[in-house]
Amino acid sequence: MLALFYLQFQTVINRLKVRLKRLKKPKYLIGGIVGGLYFYFYFFRFWFRVGQNPRASFQISADHVELVEAVAGCALLIIVLLAWIIPHGRAALVFTEAEVNFLFPAPISRRTLIHFKLLKSQMAILFTTLLLTFMIGRFGGGGAAWIRALGWWIILSTLNLHFLGSSFARTMLLDRGIGNWQRRTVVSLLVAAFAIGVFVWSKQTVPNLNVADLTNISTAKEYFRAVTTSGPAPYLLYPFHLVVRPFFAVNGIQFLLLLWPALIVMLVHYFWVVRANVAFEEASIELSRRVSERVAAVRSGNLQPRPKKAKGAPFRLKPTGSPAVALLWKNLIGAGQMFSVRVWIILACSILPTVFVFSSSGGRTQGPTLIGFGCIMVMFWSFMIGPQLLRQDFRQDLPLADVLKALPLRGWQLVFGELLAPAAILTGIQWLLVIIAAASLTYLPGIGEVTLSWRVAIGFGAAIVLPMLNLISLIIPNAAVLLFPGWFQTGREGPQGIEATGQRLILMLGQVLVFLLALVPAALGFAVVYGTISYFGQTLVAIAVASVTASLVLAIEAGIAIFVLGRIFERFDLSSEA
Amino acid sequence: MIEVEGLTKLYGEFVAVSDLSFTVQSGEVLGLVGPNGAGKTTTLRCLAGIIPATRGAIRICGFDVAKEPIAAKRQLAFFPDEPRLFDYLTVAQHLTFTARIYQVPNYQEIARPLMEELEIIDKVNLLPGELSRGMKQKLAIACGLLHSPRVIFFDEPLTGLDPIGIRRMKHSIMNRAREGAAVIISSHLLHLLEEVCTHVLIVKGGRKLIDGPLEEVRHKYAEQSVDANLEEVFFRATSEPEARP
Repeated sequence: MLALFYLQFQTVINRLKVRLKRLKKPKYLIGGIVGGLYFYFYFFRFWFRVGQNPRASFQISADHVELVEAVAGCALLIIVLLAWIIPHGRAALVFTEAEVNFLFPAPISRRTLIHFKLLKSQMAILFTTLLLTFMIGRFGGGGAAWIRALGWWIILSTLNLHFLGSSFARTMLLDRGIGNWQRRTVVSLLVAAFAIGVFVWSKQTVPNLNVADLTNISTAKEYFRAVTTSGPAPYLLYPFHLVVRPFFAVNGIQFLLLLWPALIVMLVHYFWVVRANVAFEEASIELSRRVSERVAAVRSGNLQPRPKKAKGAPFRLKPTGSPAVALLWKNLIGAGQMFSVRVWIILACSILPTVFVFSSSGGRTQGPTLIGFGCIMVMFWSFMIGPQLLRQDFRQDLPLADVLKALPLRGWQLVFGELLAPAAILTGIQWLLVIIAAASLTYLPGIGEVTLSWRVAIGFGAAIVLPMLNLISLIIPNAAVLLFPGWFQTGREGPQGIEATGQRLILMLGQVLVFLLALVPAALGFAVVYGTISYFGQTLVAIAVASVTASLVLAIEAGIAIFVLGRIFERFDLSSEA
Repeated sequence: MIEVEGLTKLYGEFVAVSDLSFTVQSGEVLGLVGPNGAGKTTTLRCLAGIIPATRGAIRICGFDVAKEPIAAKRQLAFFPDEPRLFDYLTVAQHLTFTARIYQVPNYQEIARPLMEELEIIDKVNLLPGELSRGMKQKLAIACGLLHSPRVIFFDEPLTGLDPIGIRRMKHSIMNRAREGAAVIISSHLLHLLEEVCTHVLIVKGGRKLIDGPLEEVRHKYAEQSVDANLEEVFFRATSEPEARP
């Protein structure tokens, strides 16, 4: 066991050393500073300030403690029940592949491996405890932070032990021929029997709750308190109350008094887990392999899980023609069935009747106006969120940068081809939103009726500009990948922690800034053309022509950016980024 | 076909490859040999245009890799030790994609016999994740050979292949050379190189130790009258006394 403790200890120490050593590089140092400032201003500031001000202690009055404890106990009960109902596999502990290779063949007992696993999970629990304690401080809580921290630690550790113990019990049941559905049925029946018991008891003893009472929060709270604190419910909730109570202690002495029952529950769980002699090795190897693959994929920037099923091609790719189209084709396959031609046809077929209904309803009805504004809001958000969600471009392919470098393509062809798929998907989504918005916004508060010709003109203008805006919005994160590849998680050992948070914040702010700057020439072009043509009274024509102008300006910007990025990719030295 | 003059690659201050010069003509198979960290993979990656050389010139079929990279890359195929494939493309989709990138109009006529030769014809609809390592290697090779390259670089080509696969691969390499391709193979399997290579280049610490036709090199390093085999040549050239029996 000492060797395993040594392994865990050294892993933590070495990881910290690597992190600290990395701070010598400006990109990590700056990221670390920005991340630190973010955490300070978002969490620590409130926490420390609260610490100095005892009046701002955890905001639960004595009257409510019982109720909140009951709620917390119920929540814990539900989590525990789900752990018995939902899982279907055999017990499997997550180890790294290295741990599997070193420890499983080693002369180490199963019990020691469980202890090692518990030790490892304590790292995650301590981190979560810290985060939750900070969050409590951030959102108006606080009080004695150490009580909250220890309270969280007890809850999380007990839950962790229970999950482990229930997985062992599940495996033992499976070994004895009791299948998942049999187990689920028994658990569900027990839950149902208990729920019926509580219901019958509350029906007889607690004043009935009318629907009208639900509008009165204090009546509803009183009813819930009565149901959970008297009759059969407290007996079932008792062990859960024991676990959550230390968290709600108002001072150190009360905490110590509430601590020992919680520790007994935890110890009972501990002995349950370590005394279970369940074969978890085989399932653990498989689980560890899957987790390693997932972690490697995420760290290499690929947030999508590895595909399990082959996907059809979005269109037939001819062997000759622009190579950029091959990259579009490839990345659309990578985007999955969600963005296949069939999905677009289904979407269009379902949206067109809606559009017809909205446009024919007319008048000052609120629903279509709200939907129209909602669509416009989503469209604006899509410029920021879309490029983060749709990563079927360089960000997805950067781990295969050596393959891309070996292709006989100009840099600009690669960049252009890589950007096409997410740009096409985003544009498709936005065009649908434009159609819905144009059909819905027949009336604008403060303006009045909006005629069909106006809606068509504005919709057309938006449809013309959107593809170029998407291209620009996608160029920015891709440019960041090529210009600052070290800031992205391109390898198995990508940046993590505060410095990574800081890096992401810097990149996000940079993206917003560059996007706004890129809009300036297009907006100027739009304004000049619109002003000139509308001067002669052709407002609707002005919108369309000005939109085409803005689109052209954006296309020129995008073209220049793609060409420059292409040159950068051609000179991109993979070896210096390794 | 392959001309390398004074190739040097630095990683910061570390010299990975130093002033390496050699040529490989059409039909020749050059075995690139060296201990771990000798700079073999770096050399191949420079030759394939994946990483830029710090100094020196590389010409593939007369095209300078630095000045005319597209023309040079059209002539070559590079097979890394670990097959590098797109997770979400099937075997058939990989070939379709490669055909478009290399503009191979009749690719299906080439792809079918290639897949038959490499025994992946029944795997066309599978994803890389569903293939064994050897099968992935075969798919990578099929993609690489689709455009009939005149210059081929193999980095440890036999890793993960079964004995039948190894035999087929050896024949495939020799066939490509017979058809006029210039081939460079980097491998630690010296007996394999001895079977397929016409020339050998031994490097250590990024520097060239020996370069020439295999027979000449063997003869040069023969201790008495009998020619040395490549393993003996390797140990004598790299002068690692602890490796000697």
